Amino acid sequence: MSSTSPQPKSMMRPTQWSEQVEEAYRFQLAGYRDELEYKKFQKTDNVDRWPHNGYVKKLTRRDGCFYYYNKTRECPDKEISKTKIYTY
Amino acid sequence: MMKGLQPVTTGISKPKQKSNTEQIPFSLLCNTYEKRQELVPGPKAAGAFRERPTKPTNFRKFYERGDFPIALEHDTKGNKIAWKVEIEKLDYHHYLPLFFDGLCETVHPYEFFARQGVHDMLEHGGSKILPVIPQLIIPIKNALNTRNHKVLCTTLKVLQHLVVSADMVGEALVPYYRQILPVMNIFKNKNLNSGDGIDYSQQKRENVGDLIQETLEAFERHGGEDAFINIKYMVPTYESCMLN
Repeated sequence: MSSTSPQPKSMMRPTQWSEQVEEAYRFQLAGYRDELEYKKFQKTDNVDRWPHNGYVKKLTRRDGCFYYYNKTRECPDKEISKTKIYTY
Repeated sequence: MMKGLQPVTTGISKPKQKSNTEQIPFSLLCNTYEKRQELVPGPKAAGAFRERPTKPTNFRKFYERGDFPIALEHDTKGNKIAWKVEIEKLDYHHYLPLFFDGLCETVHPYEFFARQGVHDMLEHGGSKILPVIPQLIIPIKNALNTRNHKVLCTTLKVLQHLVVSADMVGEALVPYYRQILPVMNIFKNKNLNSGDGIDYSQQKRENVGDLIQETLEAFERHGGEDAFINIKYMVPTYESCMLN
């Protein structure tokens, strides 16, 4: 990670599932902190999303492999508290 | 009338009237089980529910040779495949039948990769799935014919996913019901009667009877107007979920 990327000020762990948690879960599964870091690392402006609900559809990992995500919720209950939500 | 066809009287006498005492067949007279005072064994089991052995699949061969553009993830959340190539760029005519072929597998990692690979390809295939349907029937039929509990559950879930994966896929499957449905007919009543006890397979979605019912209902919902009559033909105990 380059030193110029913005550093988060705080981090919280959610207790309940929400769309924000789902979003963070998908990015963290692929090895990124969140959308900001992903865009910075991949040097891209767009993230592939499902058209009907806006969930992340496809991410490129740091090693160049692709992760594909479902149309519906993927984050299982046991992973909710392990997900991190960053604020800048 | 021609002469040759006229009734001819022969020398054979009329059949005698039946005597009061019926004749006992010889085979019963010399019943060895009765003589030895043993119980007569019933017929052999037909084995309709017995698991059938599977041949090594093409999927395994291709995986071991490293032909698939996939990588195994050794992390705690081991429920994803890392694709080395974008799914949109894959040749569905080649890869989708191969992944379906792997549904017969019961051991790791083949079983996981086949199940998850099929899932990803169906979820992201869109219009590329429909032209491949004819090539998927034989792998589906083979998987169902193994009559293995795990394989049956996986295949039924895949079928449910397949009919909703793209437009017209449900309709395209109707001509192939003859290949797919016989095994469902056999296992349709495979449901545990536990009285008022808890059947945990229901929670885990591993109850074959329930899965078959769900699958047939999905077929009917997405199969168009001819679906019901064709399902009824192969599975006579099925009742429509739409007409009633």
